[in-house]
Amino acid sequence: MRRSFIERTLAALLRAMEHAAASERLSGGRGFLQSVDPRVKLLGCISLIVAAAVSRRLTLLGVLFVAVAVVALATRIPAAQLLRAWAILFAFTAAIALPALFTTPGDAIGSVAGLTITLQGMRSAAFLVSRVETSATLGLILVASTPWSRLIAALRSLHVPAAVVLIISMTYRYIFLLLRTAEEMFTARRSRSVGALRPAERRRMATSTAGVLLGKSMTLADGVYDAMRSRGFRGEVYLLDDFRMRSRDWGAAAVFAAAAALAFWRGLR
Amino acid sequence: MSVPSLCSLCLCGEFNENTSAPNTSPRPRLMYLTCHHMHIPDGYLSPSTCASLYAAAMPFWAMALRRLKRNLMSRFVPMVALVAAFSFVVMMFNLPLPGGTTGHATGVAIAAIVVGPWGAVAAISVALLIQALFFGDGGITAFGANSFNIAVVGALVAWVAYRLIAGNAPLTSRLRVVAAAVAGYLAINASALVAAIEFGIQPMLFHDATGAPLYAPYPLHIAVPAMMIGHLTFAGLAEAILSGGVVAYLQRADLRLLCGSAPDAADETASAAVMRPLWIGVAALMVLTPLGLLAAGRAWGEWSAADFADPAARAQIAAVSNNVLPGNVPAGLAHLSSIWTAPLRGYAPPLLQHAAIGYLLSAMFGVGVVVLATFALRLLATRERSQ
Amino acid sequence: MTDALFEVRAVRYAYDSLPALNGLDLTIRRGSRVALLGANGSGKSTFLRLLDALDFAQEGTIRFDGETLTPERLDDDAFAHSFRSRVGLVFQNPDVQLFNATVLDELAFAPLQLRLEKQEIRQRIDHVMNELDIAPLAGRPPHRLSMGEKKRVAIASVLVIDPEVLLLDEPTASLDPRSQSEIINLLAGWSGDARTAVTATHDLGIVEDIADHCVVFESGRVVAEGPPREIVQNEELLYRTGLLHAHRHRHESGVVHSHPHLHRHGDHEHSE
Repeated sequence: MRRSFIERTLAALLRAMEHAAASERLSGGRGFLQSVDPRVKLLGCISLIVAAAVSRRLTLLGVLFVAVAVVALATRIPAAQLLRAWAILFAFTAAIALPALFTTPGDAIGSVAGLTITLQGMRSAAFLVSRVETSATLGLILVASTPWSRLIAALRSLHVPAAVVLIISMTYRYIFLLLRTAEEMFTARRSRSVGALRPAERRRMATSTAGVLLGKSMTLADGVYDAMRSRGFRGEVYLLDDFRMRSRDWGAAAVFAAAAALAFWRGLR
Repeated sequence: MSVPSLCSLCLCGEFNENTSAPNTSPRPRLMYLTCHHMHIPDGYLSPSTCASLYAAAMPFWAMALRRLKRNLMSRFVPMVALVAAFSFVVMMFNLPLPGGTTGHATGVAIAAIVVGPWGAVAAISVALLIQALFFGDGGITAFGANSFNIAVVGALVAWVAYRLIAGNAPLTSRLRVVAAAVAGYLAINASALVAAIEFGIQPMLFHDATGAPLYAPYPLHIAVPAMMIGHLTFAGLAEAILSGGVVAYLQRADLRLLCGSAPDAADETASAAVMRPLWIGVAALMVLTPLGLLAAGRAWGEWSAADFADPAARAQIAAVSNNVLPGNVPAGLAHLSSIWTAPLRGYAPPLLQHAAIGYLLSAMFGVGVVVLATFALRLLATRERSQ
Repeated sequence: MTDALFEVRAVRYAYDSLPALNGLDLTIRRGSRVALLGANGSGKSTFLRLLDALDFAQEGTIRFDGETLTPERLDDDAFAHSFRSRVGLVFQNPDVQLFNATVLDELAFAPLQLRLEKQEIRQRIDHVMNELDIAPLAGRPPHRLSMGEKKRVAIASVLVIDPEVLLLDEPTASLDPRSQSEIINLLAGWSGDARTAVTATHDLGIVEDIADHCVVFESGRVVAEGPPREIVQNEELLYRTGLLHAHRHRHESGVVHSHPHLHRHGDHEHSE
C-alpha cells in the first residue's frame, strides 16, 4: 500500500531529525576520534576522500575501505548502523552500476541471460561501488565524531569567510525549527481527511504548506537580523576561534597525512 | 525489507522503509545516506572534474557574496541562512504529481524569485553543503559540482526564465504563476543536463589500464537521455508544481515576498559586474578543458533524434532510467538484450578526433547554458533601465 | 548628567499605514525599573524597538543620555559601539534571539561583535553562566533547550555585555509557572543605581516584583503612569485598556459566576 505524500514527507522529516540526534549523541561520546581537533578530522577525511577518488587500483580501494571501516568502528559507530548504511548504499550504487556490466565495451568474461558481461564493466562497477562506500564512510566518521557546531567552526581552517561560517551554522540551527514547523503542519493536515482530497487539492495543500514555511522563514530572518543588530552586529562577523592543537592532534594529523600520502602514491602508480 | 526505487541515473533515489516511527526509538540511529534527494555523491566524478567545477562555482559564490553585501548590507546573513534552511526542508517534501506518483523539488526557482538570483545561489549552495557534510546527501568532493549544477545554473536559469515570461505583469497576475512553474521546470532540467554531461564525459576521459571506466560508467549517449527522461517528466514537474504553487500561495497570502521580483523593483542584476564571475568561470573551464582532452579515450556517442525514434534505444533508455530494481532485473535485462550487440560494439576502436570534438562540444554546451543565461540577464537589465 | 536616561517626545511610528505609536511622551529615569503595561497591539513592542534603536521615530524625538537617536547617529562607529554596549534588548521570541550554533557561541556573540578582549569575554561568559545557572548547557544547540532554558539563555546573551539598560519584551510569556518565577527572581535581582530596566508585559501579576514605576499604553499612547500598586488596583483603568477581563469561575459550592481576573500565577489574587 502506497503511503500518502504526507506520510512520506513526515517520515523524511523525522529521519533527518533522527540522524541529527544520533550524530549529536555519538559525537558527544567517547570514541577513537571524538577528542581530536575538528580541523584535523575535517582536513584528514577530505584528503582521504580525495585519495580514494584519485586511486586507479581496486586493491588499494579495498584496503582503504577496510581501514576506514576499522576507524568507523573505533569511533563507536554501532556496527549495525554501519552495515545498514553500507547495504543501502550498495543496493543503490549497484543498481546504477548494474547495466554498466553489459554496456561497457571490452573483453567478455561471461554472460547472463544472453547478455555479455565484460571485464571492463565489472571493474568499472567495482570502482564505483568501492569509491562510493569508502567516501561515504569517511563522511559518516566525520559527523559521528564531531559536534556539528565544531565542524562548522572548523570550516574556517579551509578559509571559508567568517560571514559564511555564521550563515552555515545559522542555517543548521534553523533547519531544526523549520523541520519541526513543517512536521506540525503536516501532522495537523494528516488528521483531516486527506484521502478524500482530489489530486489538485493535494498539490495545493503541499505547496501552500511550503508557502507558509517560506513566509515564516522570511519573518524569522527579519527577527534574527534585529537580534543581531541589537547585540552589536554591524556587518563584520567575528567568531570564537579557540581551537588549540595538542600533541594528540598533531599525532592524528600525522597519521592522516601519512595515510593519504601513501594512498595517493599507491593509487596513481 | 527496504526496497530502493530509483527514478533514474540522476541519483534521486528514494528508499521506502517500513519501519516504525523513528522518533520512538530510544536510541536514535544514523540515517546517513537515506535522505530522499541524492545529489552527486563522491566517486561518480573524477577529481579533476570536481576541481574544475569548484573553480567554476567559485567566482559565482564570490560574486553572490559581494552583491548581497552591497544590496542588503548586513541583512544578507540571516536572509541567506533562512532561505537555505527553507530550501533544505522543502527538498524533503513529497509533492503529489499528476498520475498518482510523487516527486521532490529543490526550491531553487522559488528562492530565485523571492530573494533574487544571487541570494538563491548563496542559499542553495549552503543547503547543499549542509546536506553533503551532515546528511551524506551528495559528496564532499562533488559539492562544487552540485553547487554549480543546482545553485548556479539552476538559479540563473530560473531567474531569467521568470523575468522573461513574467515581464511587467502585475504581481497578482496569473502569468506569474505560469512563469514560476516554467522557471522551475527549466531550471531543474538545465541542472540535470549539466550534471548528465558531467557524468557522460567521465568514461571517455578516465579509465584504467584495461580500459574500464574509473568513475561514472555511462557515456553521454546513455547518461543524457537517462538523466533527462526522469527530469523532463517527474523532477521537472515537481519543481514546476512547487514553484507555481508557492507563487500562487504568496499571491493570496503574502504578496510582499514577491516584491523582490516586481516590475519596478531595483534590478539586482543591472550591472556589468555580473559578467565578471561568468568570464572567470568560463576561463577556468576553458583552461581545464584541454587537460581533459589529453586523457580522452572513447568516442562520444552519436545519440541523436534517431536514437529516440528507435524502439530499441528507447527500451534501453527506459531500462536505465526507471525501475532498475534488484527484483525485476531479469525483465529489465530482457529489454536490454536486443541492443548490446548492435550499436555500441561498433565504436570499439575509439577515434580520438571524435572524442575531442565530443568533449569540447559538451564542455562548451555546459558553459553555453550559463553564458546564455547571463547574457539574457544583462539584456533584461538594460531593457529595464531604458524603459 | 541628567536624571533622565530616555526622553521620548511626541513620537509617532507607523507600519506602512498602520499606526503603532501616536504622539508618545515619556521620560525614563536612570536607575528606574519601568513596566510598560498594555494589551496586545498597544505599541509596547514597537516602543522597545525604538528604545533599542532598531527602528527610529518617524515624528518626534527619542533622546538617550542627551543624544538623539537617528539612523545617522547609529552609523557612527563610536556611538553605535557605546550604545550597543550600554543598551540590550531581550526579544519576546527566543527562537529569534538564539541564532547561534550553541549556547556558548550565543553568549560570545555580543562581546565578540563589540570587540572585547578574549580574556575578558571568557570571564564574562563564565560569570553570567554561573549567575543564571546555565553552565551545564554551554555546548547545547538551541533546539535541545526547553522554553525556560531558552529564555534564560536569551537573557544571559544580553546580560553578558553588562548593559546599563535592559529592555525586555514579555519575558514571562509562554512559560510554565516555575520558569516564570525563576525569570522574575532573576529580574528582581538585577537592579542598582546605574541599572535601568524597561519591561513590556501584560502580566499584571509580575509588575510589583519587577518594577517601581508603571506606564499604561493604549493605542500607541501613554494613558496612565504611577506606582505599580496604584495601577494594579485601578480596575476601571485596567478594564478600559484591556488588561483585565471577566473570568468565569466555578467555586467548590458549584456556583458559577464571573469576576475580573488578574494575570497572577502562583497565589491567585481576586478582586471582586
